[in-house]
Amino acid sequence: MAALITHSPILIIAIPLFAAFLTLPIGMASKKARNALVIVSLAFVAFLVFALARDISINGIHVYTLGATSPDLTIPTGVMVPVRIILEVDGMSILMAIIWSIVALAAAIFSLSHIASETGQNRFYTLLLLMVTGGFGMMFTGDLFNLFVFLEITSISGAALIAFRTRSADTQEGGFKYIVVSAIASLMVLFAIGLLYGQYNLLNIGALAQVIQYTTSDMIALALLIIAFTIKAGMVPLHLWLPDAYSVAPASITGMLLITSHTCMYAAFRVCFTLYGGMLDTPVVGWIIIAFGLLSMFVGVTMALRQKDVMRFMSYHAISQLGYMWVGIGVGLAVLGNAELVGIGGYGRDAMSGGIFHILNDAMYMPLLFFIGGALFQCTGTRDLTKMGGLAHKLKWTTMLFIIGTLCISGIPPLNGFSSKILIYESVYQFHPILAITGIIVSILILASFAKAFHSAFMGAELPGYKAVKEVPRSMIIAMVILAAGIVFITLFPSLIVDWTIHPAADALIDPEGAYITAVTGAIP
Amino acid sequence: MTSIPEFGYAFWNPIVLIIVFIVVMIVVYFFRRRGQEKYKKDTDQTQIFLCGEEVPEAEQRHIRVGNIYWGFFETLKEYYKQVLRPHTGIINDYVLWFVAVTAIIAIILLIAGIAK
Repeated sequence: MAALITHSPILIIAIPLFAAFLTLPIGMASKKARNALVIVSLAFVAFLVFALARDISINGIHVYTLGATSPDLTIPTGVMVPVRIILEVDGMSILMAIIWSIVALAAAIFSLSHIASETGQNRFYTLLLLMVTGGFGMMFTGDLFNLFVFLEITSISGAALIAFRTRSADTQEGGFKYIVVSAIASLMVLFAIGLLYGQYNLLNIGALAQVIQYTTSDMIALALLIIAFTIKAGMVPLHLWLPDAYSVAPASITGMLLITSHTCMYAAFRVCFTLYGGMLDTPVVGWIIIAFGLLSMFVGVTMALRQKDVMRFMSYHAISQLGYMWVGIGVGLAVLGNAELVGIGGYGRDAMSGGIFHILNDAMYMPLLFFIGGALFQCTGTRDLTKMGGLAHKLKWTTMLFIIGTLCISGIPPLNGFSSKILIYESVYQFHPILAITGIIVSILILASFAKAFHSAFMGAELPGYKAVKEVPRSMIIAMVILAAGIVFITLFPSLIVDWTIHPAADALIDPEGAYITAVTGAIP
Repeated sequence: MTSIPEFGYAFWNPIVLIIVFIVVMIVVYFFRRRGQEKYKKDTDQTQIFLCGEEVPEAEQRHIRVGNIYWGFFETLKEYYKQVLRPHTGIINDYVLWFVAVTAIIAIILLIAGIAK
């Protein structure tokens, strides 16, 4: 078991990668064997992620050097800097990995029935597993170039999966838009990496953080990195592509794409907090992050209110939810220079914890709502809410799960959406009251928009056109119940979750002692 | 108690709220039980009463998503006009936004960096 834990960072990336390539030959022989391979590999990866999380909670940051005689040998003998590929997993990256492992497993289970009538399923699962690989890679990598490589893997597989249903033109358009946007964001990341590498001859985040000077080139690199990850996360006003792409993908993939948005957000915060860290003009960058967050919250929800396509409706809500996280973490960044405010009990740390807690909560209820959107599409053959009605008579499980998702996203107590929102409201209020007030208004609008969607799709008399509608297949319900179970668990034990995962994640980003840096480079001179 | 968040601002407990929810559900169930049980099924007693008017078909009486919050959208007409303007669906326009926002952020960071 100890060896398994030691090698778990690379195993978590390598297992879905190998499974991706095995899926094609096995799928040609047996569909059931292929499905079993996908589910078992993702379940084993989830087990490894939880085992690694436990290890990190006991022993701290886990560093893994590829190709070294020992995984913790970050700097080879006779060399002054880390030159090998290094994976570095701290409290923040393992939280993202926990989220990714749960959602990927639920998405794969959901896909079993959701894409059962589609052709090219072997390729679908290959791409899904490649996307999982890319996501874990982005979370675990300790160097900038591999961050770019894994971003590319995630983007290319994501674009292919969006365009998976080749029979309709809008999927091809969505896939095209996603790949163009991703390519632009990736090039911006690559250019920023070039600027940093040209000055410092380093790619490792920890090693770079130790020597970075915040020169003019560094400022331009920072702008490029922030904007690239903001584009990929889908923050307003760079969100325009997101509803076009997310709404046409298979629902299971939309749930996963949302987590890739979270992952890009994680990458942006890793750059701001760890790479630039103490050199950063934190109030300015913090306010930039807050501005993106506020815009996303308000524009996202007001755009969602007027949507008639159920998946576009969910997509705009996804943008709105991202705003809460950016506001919370942005406040933490803005006060990063004040040790008291980002220390234990400080509102900066609590705002960050609220933002990070909201990432976890959003990762449970938003994919659930996307899955429900997919279930409605599967049952009715349309994404148009104006054509739906009275579906609660037929879709009892889906209706119940929609109610749970609606109450969560609207921040209705005691559900988990409330616990993270209250933490954000109460802490960001101390920074600036307008942030909390905007958050509360947006929450009211979210509830209003979901009440409208619920009434339109589920309430009313049974419509003649939907008399033959049946509840979605069992695997889709199981996938949705997995996420709902996550919601119930977080609802019942918020303090346990905050103490075990959220505060360590916030502390890992704040990192006043530079543990992320010293884990690679040794003691700071 | 792992269920009680200790964020340092205010006390709230999800277990208490769940108990309150269960109590409310019991009260709702009690009132529902008090309703009339003896009625004749498949007669006019189970039909919708609309002051003697003819009841429209299910499809016609269902309020669709486009008919809800009309007043809200009418009030915010100007806001929506502005917000919808960049949502052209054309990727070239999206890229223009990326370039413009990148330039703005880079200028802000450079000015702030130089001032620091």
